[in-house]
Amino acid sequence: MTNLTAQTQHPGDTGDMASPADKGRRKFLVAAGWSLMGASMAGTAFAAYKYLFPPVLYEPPTVFKIGHVSIYGLGVDERWKLKGRFWVVRNMRGIYNMISICRHLGCTPNWFPDQKRFRCPCHGSIYDAHGNVRGGPAPRTLWRGQITRDPLDGELIVNTVIRLDPDPVQTPQGLWVKEKVKEVTPFYIDHSAPAGASCASNRLLC
Amino acid sequence: MLQKIKNEIVESQIFKSVFRHGYPDNDLDRAYAIFSSVFLHIHPVKVRRSALRMRYTFCLGGITLFLFIILAVTGIWLMFYYTPYTGLAYRNIKDLQFVIFGGNLMRDLHRFAAHGMVLFVWLHMTRVFLTGAYKAPREFNWVVGVVLLVNTLVLSWTGYLLPWDQLAYWAVTVGAKMASYTPLIGQNGPWGPQLGFLPTNDIMFMLLGGTVVGQNALIRFYVLHCVVLPLVVTVFLAVHFWRIRKDGFSGPL
Repeated sequence: MTNLTAQTQHPGDTGDMASPADKGRRKFLVAAGWSLMGASMAGTAFAAYKYLFPPVLYEPPTVFKIGHVSIYGLGVDERWKLKGRFWVVRNMRGIYNMISICRHLGCTPNWFPDQKRFRCPCHGSIYDAHGNVRGGPAPRTLWRGQITRDPLDGELIVNTVIRLDPDPVQTPQGLWVKEKVKEVTPFYIDHSAPAGASCASNRLLC
Repeated sequence: MLQKIKNEIVESQIFKSVFRHGYPDNDLDRAYAIFSSVFLHIHPVKVRRSALRMRYTFCLGGITLFLFIILAVTGIWLMFYYTPYTGLAYRNIKDLQFVIFGGNLMRDLHRFAAHGMVLFVWLHMTRVFLTGAYKAPREFNWVVGVVLLVNTLVLSWTGYLLPWDQLAYWAVTVGAKMASYTPLIGQNGPWGPQLGFLPTNDIMFMLLGGTVVGQNALIRFYVLHCVVLPLVVTVFLAVHFWRIRKDGFSGPL
């Protein structure tokens, strides 16, 4: 057990009798051994790292088929809030959706039809029907999710992962993004207004 | 350059506070290095050359410990993906086998090491019996060894339920049924019914947390398998090793 170290450390030792060729070979073998050890450690570390990233996920859906435009009336519709965490909003020009996540710290705001405002219960952020910030600590406007038409049956498909988030402008009313910046494909679908609708009921939707 | 890096590490404050004795090149320093380490203190300060002879013990206990360490490590890796819920357990195992990178390797290592541990505990005890090492003054360490044997078997049995397949379900159904035949405290055992033990209050009910193998049994076995029994085994292992290496009866092994 101690023979390996004894050679160089005991007094009166005659020294290592190895030839230069022997020493070169030893050096090579030591290097080869450490390289092999390093490679196997690196391989193990890589495998351990890869193990921690599951290739299949069982997470809630992020894509929703929400039916034809005609089933949604003018204004904010909350029917998908619980299942998909988004609102569907129809105005006189078409239809879009907004993600029900407050831009302050991620709570879910509530829609108050009488005030025509989204109000967040956590820290009091206030948004209007376009998602512009009308008050509170929210630093940006509400996200809009991707909305497309199914080419086969014409139903709407909402993808809540692909989101529109343009930089807002500070105005006296709050943080603002112009509607024409947000009403773009694939985050908006042009559609004629429902029969009998007029701008008199809610100017915001015109 | 390597020499420079090595010096940089060896001379650093952190290294010196962990390895406080330098390279042990004399007997006193070697003894200090063992004494002052929380990991090595269970190791004897000196080892006889004869004790290192392979054919004396065949290192069967050492192999068992090695397998136990493999089981602990692979078990922790498996716990990252396993859910002790009847609706998910089997799917988690299938994911480990077919989807997750290295999952099947971890599962197989755990399974074969478990079989190996039972086998080597058996061989170890056979060797101890044949060399008469169970006799006084070491008889109590044999008792500790028997406790470790039983814990190994119960660990195997509780782990067997976790994949939640047909094999697991019926093996544990049969095993739990056997518990119900325990004298005095089992619903089917001698004097069990007379003492008032029914399917809802006997030892089998306590084991399964119910009258059949269900969700309660799964979580109970999971907790036993992953927390309680490994802790018990670790404590008894420490006692087992201490009695061999520090008690003096076995000589400085």
